[in-house]
Amino acid sequence: MFSVLLGIPLIGAVVCGVNTKRRILEVATIATGVIALATSLWIARTVSEQSTLTSPKGLLFVDALSAFVIIIVAGSFLATALYSPEYLGRQVQLGTVSQKQLRLYYGLLNIFLFTMLFVLVSNNLGFLWIGTESTTLATAFLVAFYEKESSLEAAWKYVIICSVGIALALFGVILTYFASSSVVGSSANALHWTVLMSVAKKLDPSVLRIAFIFVLVGFGTKAGLAPMHTWKPDAYGEAPAPVSGLMAAGLVNVALYSILRFYILVHKALGDAYASDLLLALSLFSMVLAVPFMLVQKDFKRLLSYSSVEHVGIITFAIGLATPLAYVGALLHMLNNSIAKLLLFFSTGSMRGVYNTKIIRRVSGAMHVMPVTATVFILAVFAVTGWPPFGLFVSELTILSAGFGSGNIWMSVFFIGVITTIFLGFFYYASGMVWGEPYRKQEPAESDTMTQLLLVALLLLLLILGVAMPSGVSDFIQKAAKVIEG
Amino acid sequence: MTFLDIPTGAQFIDIFAAAILVTAFLIVSSKSLVFYVRLFALQSLLLGGVAMLVVFAYGETHILIAAVLTIILKAIVIPIVLWRIIDRIKIRKEVELSINVTVSLLICGAMVIFADSIAEPIRNSKQVLNPIAGRVFPVSIAIMLIGLFIMMSRKKAVTQIVGLLTMENGLFLSGLSITYGMPLIVEIGVFFDILVAALILGVFVFRINRTFDSIDVADLRRLRH
Amino acid sequence: MIDWIPQLALLLIQIALVLLLAPLVSGFIAKTKARLQLRRGPRLTQSYSDLLKLFRKEPVISHHASWLFRGTPYIVFASTVTVALLVPTAYSVVPFHWAGDAITVIALFALGRFFLALAGLDAGSAFGGLGSSREMSIASIVEPAMMLGIFAVAVTAGSTNLSVIVSTLSTTTASMLHPSHILAFAGLFIVTIAETGRIPVDNPATHLELTMIHEAMVLEFSGRYLALIEWASQVKLLVFLAILTNVFFPIGIATDFTFLALAQGIGAFCGKILLLALAIAVLESTNAKLRLFRVPDLLMVAFTFSLLSLILYFLIGS
Repeated sequence: MFSVLLGIPLIGAVVCGVNTKRRILEVATIATGVIALATSLWIARTVSEQSTLTSPKGLLFVDALSAFVIIIVAGSFLATALYSPEYLGRQVQLGTVSQKQLRLYYGLLNIFLFTMLFVLVSNNLGFLWIGTESTTLATAFLVAFYEKESSLEAAWKYVIICSVGIALALFGVILTYFASSSVVGSSANALHWTVLMSVAKKLDPSVLRIAFIFVLVGFGTKAGLAPMHTWKPDAYGEAPAPVSGLMAAGLVNVALYSILRFYILVHKALGDAYASDLLLALSLFSMVLAVPFMLVQKDFKRLLSYSSVEHVGIITFAIGLATPLAYVGALLHMLNNSIAKLLLFFSTGSMRGVYNTKIIRRVSGAMHVMPVTATVFILAVFAVTGWPPFGLFVSELTILSAGFGSGNIWMSVFFIGVITTIFLGFFYYASGMVWGEPYRKQEPAESDTMTQLLLVALLLLLLILGVAMPSGVSDFIQKAAKVIEG
Repeated sequence: MTFLDIPTGAQFIDIFAAAILVTAFLIVSSKSLVFYVRLFALQSLLLGGVAMLVVFAYGETHILIAAVLTIILKAIVIPIVLWRIIDRIKIRKEVELSINVTVSLLICGAMVIFADSIAEPIRNSKQVLNPIAGRVFPVSIAIMLIGLFIMMSRKKAVTQIVGLLTMENGLFLSGLSITYGMPLIVEIGVFFDILVAALILGVFVFRINRTFDSIDVADLRRLRH
Repeated sequence: MIDWIPQLALLLIQIALVLLLAPLVSGFIAKTKARLQLRRGPRLTQSYSDLLKLFRKEPVISHHASWLFRGTPYIVFASTVTVALLVPTAYSVVPFHWAGDAITVIALFALGRFFLALAGLDAGSAFGGLGSSREMSIASIVEPAMMLGIFAVAVTAGSTNLSVIVSTLSTTTASMLHPSHILAFAGLFIVTIAETGRIPVDNPATHLELTMIHEAMVLEFSGRYLALIEWASQVKLLVFLAILTNVFFPIGIATDFTFLALAQGIGAFCGKILLLALAIAVLESTNAKLRLFRVPDLLMVAFTFSLLSLILYFLIGS
């Protein structure tokens, strides 16, 4: 089971490594995505029956929470794999990317999936760390893909800032190991999440408090929580659109997952609101910070990255509220946010390919040039700012109810204020891009059928999640939320 | 089988740890990129030495592998890679510093004191497993903080890599000082990660130099807000 | 009644050791440097001959000089010899140990430097003022470093009195290897180089305007005045080396007043001084003199070492 899940992306990477024909690269990656998604759904079904899956030595482990995030990641990867051919094809046509670089791209993409899945199936917290650091390394060259000055700068900042953050997280892991080995003795077991959860109450609280701070700062850097988010606008802005999409939809959730695992442990061990208060503080800071930066943006990819910061803030806010309803809201939001981000990055990516610019003001009249993409885009903007009938409305409503219900009135009101402001700004820019006359005479250049189908399918998915969530999905989310409660 | 008795082992570990701290300070006080890498190599060697001492005093073989890896990877391989890069980019000095040497050294001194306050609750925790190295825990945190400081206050990209690697050295030392080092499988993963990170950063430095014709990270300011 | 005889003997041994050995040490350093440069170099006893020559010559004084100029060589020599009587050399407890501790030592050196700086200005030549200002700016960073270094050791021994420090430390050999000690030694070593005007801080053999610091201050002195000042700086070097060896590595120092112990003490003292002098000579030959604005950086490193040694003492414990 684990070997299939982890092995497939590796095989995909190897296949992409040795082939240069474009078709093979694209098909291999899509195949990897399909198999990964299928496997993850299969795992989810197994877990809802058996509740957990563990590998023989206890190093790997899956429960409802992991299965949930695995599905999100695998699905995002598949979407990216379906979108990449058209996007990259256009780049090759324009001459910004050479055929040889395609091999690097697809190979790294597969390795990226591997590292993300590795984090998600780890029981050993050390492995969790190794996987997260590996995601940084795997995406380094993807961010620098275009090899322009700005790409290099973005990639450098990305690797440095994330490596520093991850180093701090490692210190937190070491402290956790220290706390646990005092209780269970020093062996690989001492870092197993399952083992730690069983002895949570015996762990030294003061050590755990310090450990959690370091872990939060470290993995928070990876997730893009303010004030450690500074690499995000650069990295998302400079990476190719499919990569940005996968990072915003997949990597973000992987980082949040790491934080969650530690949060569950520390919350259970300490029994007080220490961990959740820290999360609340950082989340509010992220939401506040995102607003002004979004309103003064000139580049639409950076605009989307700040949206990512804001939504990571929202998810963290939900976890920080620490009620079962809030946990459900957080998980729902993870799912919805991922789909929305994919939509946003992909549609704007196509626009970039056609208009050949990332500046907002230079893109206009997209409705005439690429009607389907533009419609999807504007609807996705509505979705991501929390409008019904899309899924994000439901998840944000859930979080709000949890907020009001648990007595955090002011914070919830503040939350509403933030969302509203962001909608206004976002809509202003998006409508400018979609309506009006094209800035320069542009021929209609719609994306090919596959991409259109993909975009519409994702949008429909978001709609379904908002309007008529299948009971299987909501049940599964409930199970995952139970895991967070510890 | 233990070869060393605890008091002697403890004494040598104290000296080695203090020496590592001194190399970190010397990195802050110097301006030559080549010297930074030399100091880092020395630092990693001393770190491997500390690990060896722990092995000999307690007979825990899994740290031995980590110790050997430290010496080979961090004291030999990575410095050679960095020296090659410095040779090829032909930049050997950190010319202006945003914070001058005197103030930097004072700040680092203050950080050592600050490190002690962070280490306080952990040192007082009753179960420090590794008594002979437990006393160097605050020193290891100080080394981490100084590595962080080097990264933030210096402008050449190679120096930032050295700062990051110094941080990692401090981390490894902290792991050694309060436990017997993390499980081997984790340590190996960590080493591998650090090695790849250093290599990737090295490649980036090279490309940055080729594109920008300097490795001054202050030049990397095209992307703003 | 008869207990003042051993004290007197000790006193005489101390004075002899310090005053007579000092020129030899300087000569030894000069000879080693020359050898390292593949020259034959001056005789080891050349310094004695130079001093004798200078004592016999008539001093020439500038018209503008005042009593300050004429009095300074005596003040400098007196203060340096007083320090020499406070620092343990062959025996761990010097006769006048009750008269002053490490802080007194620092103060006396500062006194000498103060008068030297003023005398440099007094003669009215441009070089004098130049040397004085340079010397003072270096001194302002060196003094804290020296004090912190001594304090780091003093904290271990529980007193700032040099004799007490040496006797306490000579009984416990383990503490010699304590990191706080080694760092304080490193810091004080750099301080020694700065205070005695050796490369890489100052070149004792240069007379170029661009590079001289100490030499510029004493440029105007001649005859017996110059002899006294030269001798004083040689004694100063020996005193610093004595502090370095005996405070940090008090191996072989005599703790009881027996002939054997004393002989061993004198022998150990000479041996250790020789080693340190060799180290200084090698250091001078392998390094270039630092540009003036870079000297504070080096001294800051010394200060940091001393600071670190103090911090580490509390961090790591004894």
